[in-house]
Order: sequence, then C-alpha cells, then structure tokens
Amino acid sequence: MTVTEQGLLERDKDTMTLNMGPSHPSTHGVFRIILEMDGEMVKSAEPEIGYLHTGIEKTSENKRYQHVIPMTDRLDYLNPPGNNMAFCLATEKLLEVRVPERAEYLRVIMCELSRLGSHLVWLATHALDIGAMTVFLYCWREREMILDLNEEVAGVRMMTSYIRIGGVMRDASASWLRKVRQFIDYLPAKIDEYERLLTKNPIWLDRTQGVGVMTREEAINWSLSGPALRASGVDFDFRKKRPYSGYENFRFEVPTGKNGDVYDRYLVRVEEMRQSREIISQALDAIPAGPWKIEDSKISLPPRDTLHSSMEALIHHFKLVSEGVHVPRGETYIPIEGPRGEIGFYIVSDGGNVPVRVKLRAPSFMAIPGMCKMMEDCYIADVVAVIGSIDIVMGEVDR
Amino acid sequence: MTSEEVVQKVTEALGDKVDRGEVNLGDAVLFLGPDNLLEVATHLKNDPALAFDYLSHISGVDYLDEDREPRFEAVYEFHSMDHNHSIRLRVGLEEENPTVPTVTGLWQSAVYPERELYDMFGFTITGLDNSKRLIMPEGWEGYPLRKDYPLTTEDIAFSHNRDYKRELVKSKPPTR
Repeated sequence: MTVTEQGLLERDKDTMTLNMGPSHPSTHGVFRIILEMDGEMVKSAEPEIGYLHTGIEKTSENKRYQHVIPMTDRLDYLNPPGNNMAFCLATEKLLEVRVPERAEYLRVIMCELSRLGSHLVWLATHALDIGAMTVFLYCWREREMILDLNEEVAGVRMMTSYIRIGGVMRDASASWLRKVRQFIDYLPAKIDEYERLLTKNPIWLDRTQGVGVMTREEAINWSLSGPALRASGVDFDFRKKRPYSGYENFRFEVPTGKNGDVYDRYLVRVEEMRQSREIISQALDAIPAGPWKIEDSKISLPPRDTLHSSMEALIHHFKLVSEGVHVPRGETYIPIEGPRGEIGFYIVSDGGNVPVRVKLRAPSFMAIPGMCKMMEDCYIADVVAVIGSIDIVMGEVDR
Repeated sequence: MTSEEVVQKVTEALGDKVDRGEVNLGDAVLFLGPDNLLEVATHLKNDPALAFDYLSHISGVDYLDEDREPRFEAVYEFHSMDHNHSIRLRVGLEEENPTVPTVTGLWQSAVYPERELYDMFGFTITGLDNSKRLIMPEGWEGYPLRKDYPLTTEDIAFSHNRDYKRELVKSKPPTR
C-alpha cells in the first residue's frame, strides 16, 4: 500500500495476501497456505510444506528392514497398521513369500479398525472446523475404544507396529476378538447418530454442498485418491481392483459420489465406515486358526519356547535380531488402500539387510496441489471445509 | 490387460524410444532415457487401449553404492483408472547434470513430486516454472537423499585434518 497526497491509503493491487498457518488448528498439523484474496473470495492459494520434515526416508536407508516398521507408524499417524502393511507387503513381495491366512485376517481386522479410527478423527475434526462441536466429542468417544483395542493386542495405543514382515507381532486372543465383535456391534447405532446430527442438517448442507468441487477428470489428473477420488465418481478402490491380503474373500461395497464436493466426500467416508465394519464382521466370522507368521526362520523369529531346546532356532533368532532379514536384490511397489487413499512403498534392495531406497507414496502429499486448486474462487470460510474434506495428515506429507 | 500385454504393446508401439521392457515381480517396467520420456509418456496417456491417466508417484533413486551407470534414476508409476493396469518407467539419469523434462503438461499433479526430485536429489526439471525448495528450507545446501549426503554431521568450524569432512561423508552408518 502507498500513501497518496491526501493522506489516504491506496492499494497497489486489488487483492490482499493473507497468510494461513503454519500453526492453524484447521490445517491439522503444521501447514501454511498463502491466500490471495479478493474481498471474501480466494483468488489463488499457494501451499507451503516441510515444517514437519523428519527425514524418515533418509533414515530408512540406514536401518534394517524390521527397524523401518516403527518409523512407518509415524508417517500417517492416524493409520499406523496401514503403513506397516504397505511396507511389509512390499518387502514380502521382494522376498516372494505370502503370510499365513490367520495373519492376513488379523492384518485386515487391524487395518479396517484403523480406517474406522482415522475416519472418526477426520469426522470429528472436520465437523469441528465447520462448527459442529457435538460430533467432535461423540467421535472421540468411539475412537477411544479403538485405541483400547489396539493397546490390548499390540501393547501400544497408537503406534502399534503390529504388522511385521512375515506376519503379525503376536497372535490375537479369543477374548480380544470378542471385544472387537462387541465394538462393531455397538458402532452402527453411533454412525447413525453422527448422520442424524449432520447429513440433513441445513447448516451442514449449506457449508458443504457445492464447495470445493472437483470433476471426475480433474480428480484423476490431480491424483486425488481414496475417498476424495471416489466422491468425484471414480469407482477405484485397491481393495476391490487389486485385492491384497485376502480382501477378495470379503463382500463389501465401494461407495462413490456424484458431485465431487465436500458433502459427497463426507457421505463417501461415512458409508466407508459402515463397509469397514462389515469387513471386520466377516473377518471375525471366518478367521481361521493356525500360524500367525510364516515359519521360515530366516524371515520371522522362531517361536520363543523353541529357543530353549533347539540350537538351530537359537542361531536363527540371533541372526535375525543382530543382522535382520536379507531381502533379494530388486525393486518393487505395491499399492494398498488406506483411509486417505493409495499408500505404497517403492523399495529398492541391493540384496542386503538395509534398503537402498524407501519411498512412500503418500496420498496427502499428492493431494495438496489439487486441494489448493479447489480453493480457488471459493469463500475464505470454505477453505477450512476444503482442507478438512481432503483429510491431510502432515506426517506423511513432509515425511 | 496383464503386465505382459502392457509391456508387449508399449514396446511394439514405441520401438526404439524405449531401451527395454520387462515384467518384474508382476509389474510392467520400462527402461528409457530422459530424452524420450515426454514422447513415451504422451503415448501412454493418450493411447485409448493403455490410458494411463493417473500418476501414482515419482521417486528418485541414487545408485551410488551399486557402482553402475547411470548413477541416478527417476521412477514414474502410472495407473489406468479404466483398465486397472499399471506401468513403471525407470528413467536413467547421468551423474553430471541429471535433467528430466516435466510431465506436468500431462499429469498436473506431477508438480509436487517433481519439485521434490529437485529438492531431495538435485535433478533439474526442465519446463517446471517453480523449481525452488519444497520440503527443505530455502537456502539449504546439498540434496539430502543423495547417497553421498551424510546422515548426521555438522559443519566443522576448524580441523587440522583436511580430509576430515570427506571421511565423514564416506563412513558407513553404524547399523550396516
């Protein structure tokens, strides 16, 4: 701005630059957007990331394969089992092994529980951003139960590291499976409750319908994935299209939207919660007895009780703990469907026990340019609605 | 299409633009040089039988310890939403001035991963108007995901040993 002769302020340009973040509650992390405003309208949005950069990819290149797993928990911290699963599946693809059926079922149960938990946190914070305080409290109540289930099976509430190379960390007890059953029997009434609060709420409709619209072509071109992609009418879900870990055994629907706006993304995610519940229910019905990790002692630890009687088991145990898994030379990538979309690890191995390159395909990272595109020509109050509807997690954006 | 059919179709259509194609652990993989990238990518996207309309990710790899030529590689992964098949392009890049053309004209979402390639590996992306640092702060020196970038060192203010810094860079991390 410049001061004119009359002492009045005169603007150099018609727009105003507004800084949002990096510490803004509705960016769900440390994320900065520089908005170019024309009155109430956003003309352009320039994202700035990197505030949460921890160098996980670089660190992974200096750790053994099994030591990378706890770091993957911290990428998308709302979906640790999904990240573990993506990393373990890629490593197992290089090793050319397939885990036993019980391990696959336990993995599916954990991943779907974490999808539920992630969507609950998303719904809680998204609704809070738009002004619905009650939903926030309700969702947190149910998410707490998922964390309790995590704690019982993995010993940790959030960063579970439950899924390991060659299987899972330990077997789940019958009582834990009963508790999961109790939880998913309790959940549908609660999801109906959230929907009663929001789905036909006129304030909610005003704030979300027709906001942040992305057409089918735009959504594909901007590499949106997961619920944001499906809300734009693309029927693409890796669980259906390229089943991994036994997802072909389950019957479930892939919800899609029509308009590709914030409201459709909300509807898709809420329906996904019901479908996740359905998958867990079928998995609990059909979970087989048997081993929960592969028996190859060069990949997964031998059973604890054999260490006292078998020399070979002791040697394998020592070698695995001190040296780790040797993964054959090669490169691979395997995509899986996380709560935010396509997660995958591109792993390059030179045949040793330390990966040469670990690259995470993070759905939030790929979605950010498209998200800022959506903000153009919408009101400033809708910016938080758009950010919430994409459900970004800065841990996996900055890595 | 299966991965075998994809590789066969692409290599037949593009001929010498692609160095070679293979199926690796079930994935279709093409090897090519940076000069042919745009032409190959355009064909992959626009051929209706292939229709690779979705960019999954772009990744850089530094093969310094492998002792092979070329040292760098940019890896592109594409999906087709309609046909449900995927392909991976592995573009070898020379150690001196690794340069790769931008694919943002075909897939707009490439802007972030390409800026990351510059930020983390120091690749020059021709045609990308915005190649400043993405994740690292402005003014950062070096490219962190290169193999010769040390994992943990700090600048040493003074040392009698002239080769001290270089030794640190070469030293293997303790977990190896």
